[in-house]
Amino acid sequence: MNPEEWSDALRQLTGITGVLGALIISADDGLVVAETAIDELATADVAALAAALVSRAARCTAAMRSAVPSSIHLLAEQGAVLAVAGPPPLWLVAVARHDAELGRLRLLLRDFAGALR
Amino acid sequence: MRVLEPWVAAPLTELLGESGARLALIMTSAGQVVAQHGFTRSLDVMSAAALGAGILATTGELANVVGAPSGFGAVVHQGGQQGVWLAGFDTPRGRWIGLVVFGPESSIGLVRLFFARFAEQVARAAPPLVPVREVLAEGFERELDQSLRALFGAG
Repeated sequence: MNPEEWSDALRQLTGITGVLGALIISADDGLVVAETAIDELATADVAALAAALVSRAARCTAAMRSAVPSSIHLLAEQGAVLAVAGPPPLWLVAVARHDAELGRLRLLLRDFAGALR
Repeated sequence: MRVLEPWVAAPLTELLGESGARLALIMTSAGQVVAQHGFTRSLDVMSAAALGAGILATTGELANVVGAPSGFGAVVHQGGQQGVWLAGFDTPRGRWIGLVVFGPESSIGLVRLFFARFAEQVARAAPPLVPVREVLAEGFERELDQSLRALFGAG
């Protein structure tokens, strides 16, 4: 996948009803690599916090001596953050409202994260 | 943590706690230290303050040369085990500089996020300016001692 194809993939993700934004982030430095989102979504903040979430989940699973996490789904009352690992250090992250089509979003995230290589 | 201005303590505590940073140094743009966390030797603090202020002044000039007169937002040095975030921010007391050292348990993005919040909180927390007192020669050494004690403790 090249950066143009990344943009296409992100646009498809944000085309799902209820998805506010989709980002490719670098989990090592917590920065946005590519993004498509509504203006109100602070994507730089999302990238930083999602990267911190990924890092803590990795430390947690390491402490449990279990596998490295490949996806993280954080479901809250008003929304959800879904993150799926791509080739290190990239992660594909989506922010959605609680009433978004999360099942479809999850499937697309997995497909696109695998194709980021 | 050592602070010369007590109202900087709460925002700095939050910055350190939320970002997971290891060291922090807050100074005026002239290099005068306002607060520090994690440094154990006064010499290190003074060196870091002088170098940090110098780096920001240099990058400010570099920004002019490359046609970015509003300057760069921050300077980041990323190493294998440690990174340094260096950025200026406006306060009611003038322009200050923050130098934050972070390890692999944190990230540039996280430091950027919480540094921005820190700068906002400091700007809000700053009490009104009081007129600058004239520094008299006989009081200078005593005031310098008090400042050093506040930053590094007695001893």
